[in-house]
Amino acid sequence: MRRASSSLVHRHTRRVLVNVLRMLALALVLVWSAFPILLMVTASLRPPRDVFSTSWDFFAKAGLQNYANLWKRWPDFFHNLGNSLVIALGATALTLAVSFLAGYVYSRRQGRLLTASAFFMILVRLLPPIVITLPLFPAINWLHLNDTRTVLVLLYCAFFVSLGTWIMKAFIDQLPRELDEASAIDGASLAQTLRLVILPLSHAGLIATSVFIMVFAWNDFLFAFIFTAVDAKTAPLVISEMVGAIDGVDWGILFAAATLQLVPILVFVLLAQKYLIAGLTAGTVKS
Amino acid sequence: MLVLVLFLPALYVFWLSLTRSTYGKSPVWAGLANYATVLSDPYFWTATLNTAIVVNAIVFGEFTLALAIAMLFAGWIPWRRLMLALVLAPYAISEVVAVVVWKFMMEPYVGPVTLALKAVGLAPLDWAVEPSHGLAMVILLSVWHHLPFTFIILYTALLGIPKDLYEAAQVDGASSWARFRDITLPLLVPAMLVAVVFRYIFAFRIFSEVWLLTGGGPARSTEVLAVYLYRQAFRYADFGAAAATGWLMLIASLLMGAWYIHQMYKRMFVDAAR
Repeated sequence: MRRASSSLVHRHTRRVLVNVLRMLALALVLVWSAFPILLMVTASLRPPRDVFSTSWDFFAKAGLQNYANLWKRWPDFFHNLGNSLVIALGATALTLAVSFLAGYVYSRRQGRLLTASAFFMILVRLLPPIVITLPLFPAINWLHLNDTRTVLVLLYCAFFVSLGTWIMKAFIDQLPRELDEASAIDGASLAQTLRLVILPLSHAGLIATSVFIMVFAWNDFLFAFIFTAVDAKTAPLVISEMVGAIDGVDWGILFAAATLQLVPILVFVLLAQKYLIAGLTAGTVKS
Repeated sequence: MLVLVLFLPALYVFWLSLTRSTYGKSPVWAGLANYATVLSDPYFWTATLNTAIVVNAIVFGEFTLALAIAMLFAGWIPWRRLMLALVLAPYAISEVVAVVVWKFMMEPYVGPVTLALKAVGLAPLDWAVEPSHGLAMVILLSVWHHLPFTFIILYTALLGIPKDLYEAAQVDGASSWARFRDITLPLLVPAMLVAVVFRYIFAFRIFSEVWLLTGGGPARSTEVLAVYLYRQAFRYADFGAAAATGWLMLIASLLMGAWYIHQMYKRMFVDAAR
């Protein structure tokens, strides 16, 4: 009797210990993933002289001085932020339109040629982007598209149509074909079926796709670095210039700019978290 | 459109790699001379070695961490949605901002992490001067930035394992290690392979992190292949050599993806025909 109860106590302390360790591990994970971001965002709100300070007087001294300096010293940054927004929205809209239609076709029709093209799309996703910039560079010069927002919209779209189509196909696959048939019997044309039946029902897929393309288009450095110079420069490119400024880095201004670039997309991703997870599984594991 | 933007250029790169070309001159046939130039360039081999080290360290570091965190999250977690959001946060960050954040934390003399390391008596990373430290910083930053991707794939796969398998094993008296080894691990293998293959292919592209942190320096000692290619093409305007590098990178990417490509091929053509 006594032995049984002592083993019960033993098991109980063991479980408590395991749970304490687990919560400790969780705390470490959170520090690792969220602390760096939090550190920078709070630093951007400190007075310019104190950005490296880690003292606890943060709330007493917090202010927007760095943001005001950013406005004064880099007035163009807000134009570049606007570029980023226009490009990200344009690329997202274009990718959604193409992926939705292509995803529908891949989901509903079958054929060797179609399978072959789907296979080719997977292959294409494996190519390193920097390799693609080489031949595109002269072509884009020739088309006089260099340093335009159009070229970035087209490039981002081209890079994400394959993933987008894949995700849309996975989501449209879940809609029963009887829906299409019922709609056709009711006299709807294909365009009407797509617009009135399939489109509203596949909104989860559309949001999932838009998370990926948005994050990429808003954050990309490589393509903007190679294909823009003055007019179409995006926010990440300008931030990279601030990092490499010859007259020394003004950390306060840099943090203000980075925070402005980071917060909108972070909020978007966190709001769309559920769809991001679903899309990632659809785009890789299920396929 | 896809064919136009991606496939034709690839062929054009192949043709370019067989010619000598630079700005303002039309390409001249050169056969395999560009490949010979690239393959005999010591900087190419430095870049290749650096890429191999960095990519392997990133992929396996990230994999181990992601697996551990996924196991942790498979159990009971307070405020699960919020916790997931915090773990996912780095996914939303631009490479450029990630570099800013890590540079800030690791800044010599003043960075908070540098100071913290000093306070507990550890030597901080001397990443701006010491090439191996520079690469270590690139690895650390990349693991931090891309962990959410690997984590999500493993986490969703873990959630997909039927609970009754564990219950049955528990009834049979299997220890927690035995349950992990005999149920979790084998059922997780497909997702693990996908995660690792994808991360190999994506990590291999690494450019911005290196370019913005070290610029490939000091003395080109921390270059990776994408930086090497960029320099050949857009700094030295040697498009032939750059294209040859491009083709070598492309072949490497396809080799890394070979298993995945094979799986997809089987599923799409063989299984579909059945």
